[in-house]
Amino acid sequence: MKRLVSNQIVGPLAALLLVAVVVALTTNRFLDVGNLSNLILQVSIVAIVAIGSTIVIFTGGIDLSPGSAIALMTMVFAMAIKFGDVPLPFAILLVLLIGVLLGAVNGVLTAYLRIPSFITTLAALSAFRGIAFMFNNGSPVFSVHPKLEPIFYGSLLGVPLPLFYVVGLYALAFFVMRYTAFGRTIYAVGGNPQAAALSGLNVARTRFLAFVIAGAMAAVGAVLMTARLNSGSPNYGVGMELSAIAAAVIGGASLAGGRGQIVSTVIGALTIVIVQNALNLNAVPTSAQNVIIGAIIVTAVGVDMWRGEIGRALAFIVGPLTLPGQKGKVDQ
Amino acid sequence: MEESVPVWELRNVTKRFPGVVANDSVSLSLVAGRIHGLLGENGCGKSTLVKVLCGVHQPDSGEILCARRPVVLSDPIAARRAGIATVFQEFSLVQTLSVAENIYLGRLPRNRWRIDWPAMREGARRVLGRIHVAIDPDAIVGELSTAGQQLVEIAKAIAANASMIILDEPTTALGPDEIAELHRLLLRLRDDGRIILYISHRLDEVVELVDEATILKDGRVVSNAAETPVEIRAIVRKMVGRVDEHFPKAANATGDALLDVRSIHTSNRVAGASFTVGRGEVFGLGGVLGSGRTEIARALFGVDVLRQGEIRLRGKSLKLLSSRDAIAAGIALVPENRKSDGLFFNFSGHENISIAGLGRITHGAMLDHARERRLAHGLIQSLRITPTAGTALVGELSGGNQQKIVIARWLFAEAELFVLDEPTQGIDVGAKIAVYQLINELTAAGKGVILISSDYDELLAMSDRIGIVSRGRIVAIRDARSLDKADLIKASADREELAA
Repeated sequence: MKRLVSNQIVGPLAALLLVAVVVALTTNRFLDVGNLSNLILQVSIVAIVAIGSTIVIFTGGIDLSPGSAIALMTMVFAMAIKFGDVPLPFAILLVLLIGVLLGAVNGVLTAYLRIPSFITTLAALSAFRGIAFMFNNGSPVFSVHPKLEPIFYGSLLGVPLPLFYVVGLYALAFFVMRYTAFGRTIYAVGGNPQAAALSGLNVARTRFLAFVIAGAMAAVGAVLMTARLNSGSPNYGVGMELSAIAAAVIGGASLAGGRGQIVSTVIGALTIVIVQNALNLNAVPTSAQNVIIGAIIVTAVGVDMWRGEIGRALAFIVGPLTLPGQKGKVDQ
Repeated sequence: MEESVPVWELRNVTKRFPGVVANDSVSLSLVAGRIHGLLGENGCGKSTLVKVLCGVHQPDSGEILCARRPVVLSDPIAARRAGIATVFQEFSLVQTLSVAENIYLGRLPRNRWRIDWPAMREGARRVLGRIHVAIDPDAIVGELSTAGQQLVEIAKAIAANASMIILDEPTTALGPDEIAELHRLLLRLRDDGRIILYISHRLDEVVELVDEATILKDGRVVSNAAETPVEIRAIVRKMVGRVDEHFPKAANATGDALLDVRSIHTSNRVAGASFTVGRGEVFGLGGVLGSGRTEIARALFGVDVLRQGEIRLRGKSLKLLSSRDAIAAGIALVPENRKSDGLFFNFSGHENISIAGLGRITHGAMLDHARERRLAHGLIQSLRITPTAGTALVGELSGGNQQKIVIARWLFAEAELFVLDEPTQGIDVGAKIAVYQLINELTAAGKGVILISSDYDELLAMSDRIGIVSRGRIVAIRDARSLDKADLIKASADREELAA
């Protein structure tokens, strides 16, 4: 197990460091304190949403809905505060509850009615955004509350608050995945659902709960996004599901399920955001940025899949030298 | 016997992989009109040799000759062109296409731009007729039984005019009647002048079928066709390299009742089965494929829910609505297909062993990793599983070690009754003997064992009593020592007719 953990993190981490070093050497303002704390703000929402996406991927499923769910929840959150005069803590609680509910809808359809998650969450991607547009005649809600922005832009001891949220939630997720029976069950269900059922594990409930967690993480993302922009909008969160999945995949999670480390997902998210940041600082247009991100996703998965072959080829050139991460995965 | 000229010949073929010599100077002569057995334990280099012959691997040195001329089988297509057809355990058929389309796949007959459907059907019918196989050329392959699909695979080889047909473990999914039919077909093909290279772990079949055999061990030929007597004991001795009791049965049965099954019915084939299993007893279930053996196991394990009848364990009536209930009651199932139903390939040995008994290593919701390692490691030692199994992913282990890991899982979960469904399928002789010893250890510890096996020698030797299953019922229960193989075949066949 130790070998598994270290190798699955070493690869993505090495890639992240390589990217960071290259960017630091080529881009002047990258290492400015202002830019670095801006990076943390940028990565925080995707990183948190990606916790849910990754856990769903661990069970062998996929969640395409968090972007739309976030749009829906920013509307509910903004309207509850601005028009409903709901006190902030209760409004946050309400949004979390809705997140759990939206996740439960995906979960029931997928786990208990056994419709493939790609389909159910594709439907939810469409439906949740549709619902978001039903609020406030489809118009955004601006200037929600003056106390909202500090939730996102505030800092404690000079450290931006979002860093605490990210670190806190990843620590919790790491703990659950590594040290609880539930975490082990998630890996088992993703690794081999038939064998999991025949080992007495509750496969449907596990899959259901993974979607509920994903819904809750989307709710946290929605609260942060509303706070960041002091507004709610049915147009928020477009493409968020893909960034979250990309973070998981670049972090080494296998879309077949059962393999990967939750902590690697934050590494994946950081990699994407650093590349985006570098491209922005170098004034590369958004269109080209999107193409580059696509290339990174393919490269990351390709390197992971062909790790053995690349390792052998390099060993042939360099001599008998073991590469980190070379033996982490076994072909079956 | 006249001097026969080999059609295909391997001369000193060597194939290395990083850290291992899979084939070490292997020579093999294959003569037209002979069935040649290729035998050896897992990891002896059989699969590599087959892959060399069908163009997947290129030998590092040595040569392959066809009719005394060297040939290079650069890829699977070249091998097919050269007349070598391979029937793998996993078929290369397209499930959604018809039999005729599969037979002609890749070279569909055409007239100008269109596929010539009538010619294709006619051709397929002719090929199937030639090998006496009664399958409709228009049937969809996915709707055929495993045995039927295998026959289509062979027909495909014949249609492609293969001079050599390689069969890799062809009988693992077949019942006795289907095996007999396959063997009749292979004998006809042999008499037709084709070469059959036959690979199987089921030595009883092998000695019945093959004309000659080559035995590999650690990548080398330890006994070539001229040296190998086609006789089980001699083959086992050469394969394993030591003389061991092939079936080391220990009698541990007590009269102490453990399981009492009373006239159970499910909606999946089980119709009024009754039997008992005592502590320390191995109760064998015999009968043909589809008789309801596996379904009785499913009912005991809570996979199929009872409609009628009662299952009592240690005198207590059980209500089994899921596998969870069965596991909680102390029942274990070692499934027939350990790859798809048993193992977690994303897990190490320790994690595979603990998964059905996580309750033993949790405090509240927390996993106790140290306790998991300690308990699982103890089982790895006591079951003599390879020491690397604890931390290695199970995909890196041999079939025998994998099977022991699955059995260890149920010892970890503290099961009392072990249902073993084809526990030695697809594992080599050495590992089989280890599984038999493990069965002895289970019974010595007072556990009950239900053994399901299509290998009648194994069933007879390892069981204390045998229940013959037919149409979802136990039609006869006998002392295993009072039966022989012929009785068992006859009994299951007779009862089948009787019930019909």
